[in-house]
Amino acid sequence: MKRVLWLLALGLCCGSAAVAQEPAPTAPIPRPKRHRSGLWGELGSGPGYVRVACSDCTDVIGASGATSYLRIGGVISRNVVIGVEIFSLLDQTFGFASQDSNAVAETGTATITLLWYPGKSGLFFKGGVGAAFGEFSVPSDSTNVGTDTTSSGGGIGMTFGLGYDFPISRKFAITANAAAFVTALGDVVLPGHNVDDVIATVYQLSIGFTIR
Amino acid sequence: MTAPILAVLALLQFDTVPKPKPLLAVGEALLINLFVNRVDAWAFNQDWAHTGPKYWAKNLRLGWEWDEDAFPTNMFAHPYHGGLYFNAGRSNGLGYFESVPIAFMGSWTWEYLGETYRPSLNDWFMTSFGGITLGEMFHRVGATIRDNRARGFDRTWRELAALPIDPIGGFNRLIRGQWKATGPNPAEHDPGAYVLRVGGGIRFARRLAADTGFWSMGTVLVDLLYGDQVGQEYRAPFDVFSLRLLVTSQGINALRGSGRLYATNLNSPAGRNRHMLALNQRYDFIKNPSQSVGGQSVEIGINSRWLFGSKGFGIRTALFGDGIILGAIDAPGTGFGERHYDFGPGLGARWEVALEKHGVRFLRLFSQLEWIHAVSGASADHVVDFGGIEGALPITRRLGLAASSTIFGRVSNYTDGRPRDRREYPEARLLLVWTKAGFVPGQR
Repeated sequence: MKRVLWLLALGLCCGSAAVAQEPAPTAPIPRPKRHRSGLWGELGSGPGYVRVACSDCTDVIGASGATSYLRIGGVISRNVVIGVEIFSLLDQTFGFASQDSNAVAETGTATITLLWYPGKSGLFFKGGVGAAFGEFSVPSDSTNVGTDTTSSGGGIGMTFGLGYDFPISRKFAITANAAAFVTALGDVVLPGHNVDDVIATVYQLSIGFTIR
Repeated sequence: MTAPILAVLALLQFDTVPKPKPLLAVGEALLINLFVNRVDAWAFNQDWAHTGPKYWAKNLRLGWEWDEDAFPTNMFAHPYHGGLYFNAGRSNGLGYFESVPIAFMGSWTWEYLGETYRPSLNDWFMTSFGGITLGEMFHRVGATIRDNRARGFDRTWRELAALPIDPIGGFNRLIRGQWKATGPNPAEHDPGAYVLRVGGGIRFARRLAADTGFWSMGTVLVDLLYGDQVGQEYRAPFDVFSLRLLVTSQGINALRGSGRLYATNLNSPAGRNRHMLALNQRYDFIKNPSQSVGGQSVEIGINSRWLFGSKGFGIRTALFGDGIILGAIDAPGTGFGERHYDFGPGLGARWEVALEKHGVRFLRLFSQLEWIHAVSGASADHVVDFGGIEGALPITRRLGLAASSTIFGRVSNYTDGRPRDRREYPEARLLLVWTKAGFVPGQR
C-alpha cells in the first residue's frame, strides 16, 4: 500500500512537473469583437416629446409623438464612426393652440453625425449637424371637413445624445438611444396667423437594430 | 512633505506638452462661465447676470429661442468666447477633436445657467462652432508667437503678445511656470511654410453709409497663411489655415479664417504639379455700415498648384463648395425686435486663381457666391456674391505696394410679398505692405 502511495505521489509530481514544463497554452488571445469596422447601418424607433418655441411666444407647446431614425455610415477610427442620420417625429394631435389640436405635425432632420465610443464598452456619445424639415397640416375648419392647410419649412438641425450597443452577434447589435434633436424651422404660416421663428426640440428614447 | 509638492511643481513646469487632463479642461470651462458671470454681476451689476435656480428651471423648461443681440456681439464676441472654452481643452493636452465637446459644453452651460435670459440657439451655434475655428487658429498662432527656447525680455514679450490671442493658454502656462521654463516647442510652433503680410493704407468704398457717394478711410490689413495648402501633407486638423483681419477706424471690418480639417493627395506627392482634396472649417465676420454678413461653414474642394520655370513661380487654384451651418446677414426689413439681421443655414461656392512665387501670392482673382435661407428674422432668401482682384508689387525684399478692387453684391428675395432688393458695394484699397514668408526648400 505504501508503495502504491509512493508511486501515486511520484506520478503526481512527475505529472505536475510535466505540466509545468509544457509550453504555455496556445489558446487564442481573446480579441475584442469588431463591431466598429466597415460600413454600418442602424434603424430604430421609440417615443418622443417635442417642445416648440417661437419668437413672441410667451410659453412653449409640448406634445408627444412617435419617432423613427435611420443611420448609415462608416468608421473613422477605432472609437469614432461617422454617418448620415435621418430622423423624424410624427404627432397626429399636435396643436399650436388648444383649438387646433387636430393638426398633424411632422419634424425631421438629416444630419452628418459622429458617434464617439470613449471606452471598450458599447457606450457612445453622439453629435451631429445638418438640415431640418417641418410640416404642419391644420384642418381647414372645426369639422375637419375640407382640404387641410399645410405649412412647411426647412432650416437647420442639430442632434446630440448618448446610447449603448448591446452586441448579439459579431454583425448585429441592439442599440438603446437617448437623444435631443434641435430643429430651427423659420416661420410657420397657419390659417389666420403666422408663428415666427419656430424652434422644435425633440427628445427621444429609442431602441434600434444595428448591422455592422 | 515638500518633496511631493516639488515633484508636482516640477511636473507642471516642464510639462510643455501636457498630458491630457479632460477633467481640468471641463473645470476651467465652467470656471470661465463662473468668472464672466460674477464679474458682470458684481462689477457691472448687469441684471441678466443675477441668475439662479429659479431662472435655471425656467430656461430648462422653455428651451431655445433666437436672441436680439447686436451683430458684433453674436458673430465676433461669442465665437471669441467659445475659443476660450476650446482652448481650455487644447491647453490641457486635449487634441482638436477632444476639445470640441468642451466648446459645446461650455456654451450650453452658459446659455442655460449663466444668464437670466432664455438660452439662445444662435449663441450656442456661434459660440461652439466659431469658438472651435477661432480657438484652434488662436491656439496655433499663440504657439507660434511663444518660444520655449527664448529667455529674458524676448521670452516675456512673446508670452505677453500671445496673451490676447490665447488667454486661457497663456494663463495655464503662467500657473505652470512655463512663462520662464525653457524646453522644446510644441509641433504647432513651426507651421513649416507660412506667409505673413501686414499692410496699412487707404480704403475707398461706395455706398458705405448711404446710397450715394464715396467714402475713404484708413485701414490695416493682416493676412496669415499658416502652412501650405498643397505643398504640405495632412498631419492634423488646422495644420494649414488662412486668416485675414481688416481693421478701420470703425473697428474690425472683417475677420475671416479657413482651416483644413482633413486633406488627401489627388496625385503623386512627388509630382511637379499638386492637387489636394481638402475639407475645411470656415469662419466669416464682415461688418461695416453697409454690410453685415458672417457665419460658420464647412467647405470641401480642391487646391491645386502648377509650377512653371525653375524660380518658384506658379499658379494656384482653389475650387470649393460649402454648407453654411448657420449664417447671419442684414438687408432692408430683416431681423426681429432689436436685431437687424437674419439667421439661417445656406449653401455656397468659391473659386480663386493666383500667381505666386514660393507660396507668396502677388496677383489673385477670386469670387464667392453664398445663399442663406432665413430661419429667424424676415421670411427671405439672401444671395451674396463677392469677388475681385488683388495685386502686390514688391519694392524691396519685404516692402511692397498692394492694391485691390472688389464688389460685394447682395440680393434678397422675400416670401412675404415685399419687393426684391438688390445692392452692390464696390470698394478699392491701396496699401503699403510688409511681407514675411517662409517656405520649405525642396517641398513640392
